[in-house]
Amino acid sequence: MNKAMEQEKGRIEQSAEGNATEANPAKGNHATEANQSETSLTEKEPSSAVTLRSVMQKRSRFKLGPLTLNVPIGHVTAIVGPNGSGKSSTFRLLMDQSRPDEGELWLLGEQVGIGLDDSLLKQRIGYVPEEDNKRDAGLRGTFKADFTAEWYPSWNGNEFERLLREFEVDPSLRLGKMSKGMRRKYELALVMAHGPDLLLLDEPSSGLDPISWRKLVDELHRYMRRGNRTILMATHIMDEVKRLADYIVVMSGGRIIGMYEKDELLSSWHTFYVGPATVGLPAHGAGSATQLAPEAVQALPGLVNAEEAGGGTCRVTTCKAWEAELWCRQQGFAITGQRALELDEIMALLIRDSL
Amino acid sequence: MRLPIQINENSAEPLYHQIESQLRALIVSGQLLENTLLPSNRELAQSLNCSLITIRRVYQDLEAEGLLRTRQGSGTFVAKVDTDAGSKKLLQTAEAAVEAAIEAGMAAGLTRHELEEVIRHELDRRYGKQQ
Repeated sequence: MNKAMEQEKGRIEQSAEGNATEANPAKGNHATEANQSETSLTEKEPSSAVTLRSVMQKRSRFKLGPLTLNVPIGHVTAIVGPNGSGKSSTFRLLMDQSRPDEGELWLLGEQVGIGLDDSLLKQRIGYVPEEDNKRDAGLRGTFKADFTAEWYPSWNGNEFERLLREFEVDPSLRLGKMSKGMRRKYELALVMAHGPDLLLLDEPSSGLDPISWRKLVDELHRYMRRGNRTILMATHIMDEVKRLADYIVVMSGGRIIGMYEKDELLSSWHTFYVGPATVGLPAHGAGSATQLAPEAVQALPGLVNAEEAGGGTCRVTTCKAWEAELWCRQQGFAITGQRALELDEIMALLIRDSL
Repeated sequence: MRLPIQINENSAEPLYHQIESQLRALIVSGQLLENTLLPSNRELAQSLNCSLITIRRVYQDLEAEGLLRTRQGSGTFVAKVDTDAGSKKLLQTAEAAVEAAIEAGMAAGLTRHELEEVIRHELDRRYGKQQ
């Protein structure tokens, strides 16, 4: 791991006892109400909607964790990462559908899996799993909705119908007869209709057409406008992260690589084409004398990659774009081209450098 | 309300900085009038495709500058600019200029008395002689 990455990871605290990666947004520059302290878990109003503490699950072919994570209330947090990085396993642990071998999980200030009856907690949560329930295939949409309404005192029938209309879902169909996208929209409407404090969404938009996807993004924004609600979602759609997320959690190989504030992450990673200084040099000497070798930019802030790009310029990638730009100006290096990295490129670099 | 703010994604300038300077310009130039209700944090974040954290930071910074004020429960409004924040800024500029003038006098080796004479002379010329 190079120096720049080390600094980038400075936001991630190593916990005292293990090597558990603690990803806490409050440790960044923008510590506000997302502030999280050790004691807050026992308080009436926690600042984290979801908390994982050194959670580990060992299976013969896959080891998950140790995971340590605080998901701040009132924000949208997106978990991204390649297939098999442990996103869905984490959701199952949160919903108490599987048990950790070590560690603790907390939802809305209550520890998962210790009480006999968690129905009160579950009433405040809306969960859409990765796979739709096959056993419901024979039920009509209206029947499952009536059944669900019984379980949630806060069920809002008008809101449910509004969402179905918005998503263009016909609830009189049997769930197994619905297309994948329509079934998905049905399940989303179902969990949003009881106005939960916390939405846990595992790839909510899989199977959705672009128009439905746009509507879903708008509805999730609308959902967030009401009070201190929280969304934790796993997704592969980078545009979804861009439009919705406040925080991004990167997972890979069963571990959390880091948690980042979205805008900071997206605006920090740039690729520059840096040329030699063109001012103050004799015009005829501008040939070989002003070649800019990759060695010349080793001190560039946040340097991740530097390679020759021909014509005496260097192609550099930095995770501290603003400082790097100022540094180039100071050094008198001309920036001839500049591009912000896409989220998937940033993700790949973060994962590469965490190995 | 949609604010005319443009984000340049390929600029290395931090997002909060881009939004902040454009919103500041809208207020100081009078394009946004006093008492205009701004979009909520979440609404502005949605329309600019950025995170809540960024918007909160922008609003907090501009509030600290006296350009915005937040009323609990009712939202963020454009504050009275030209009289309060504006005149304060002008005073600061004037003070800095006087300070620089005095420094120049000291550097030229003038005594306090001589410097007072120079300043009094100039003041008399501009405002008229004091009785």
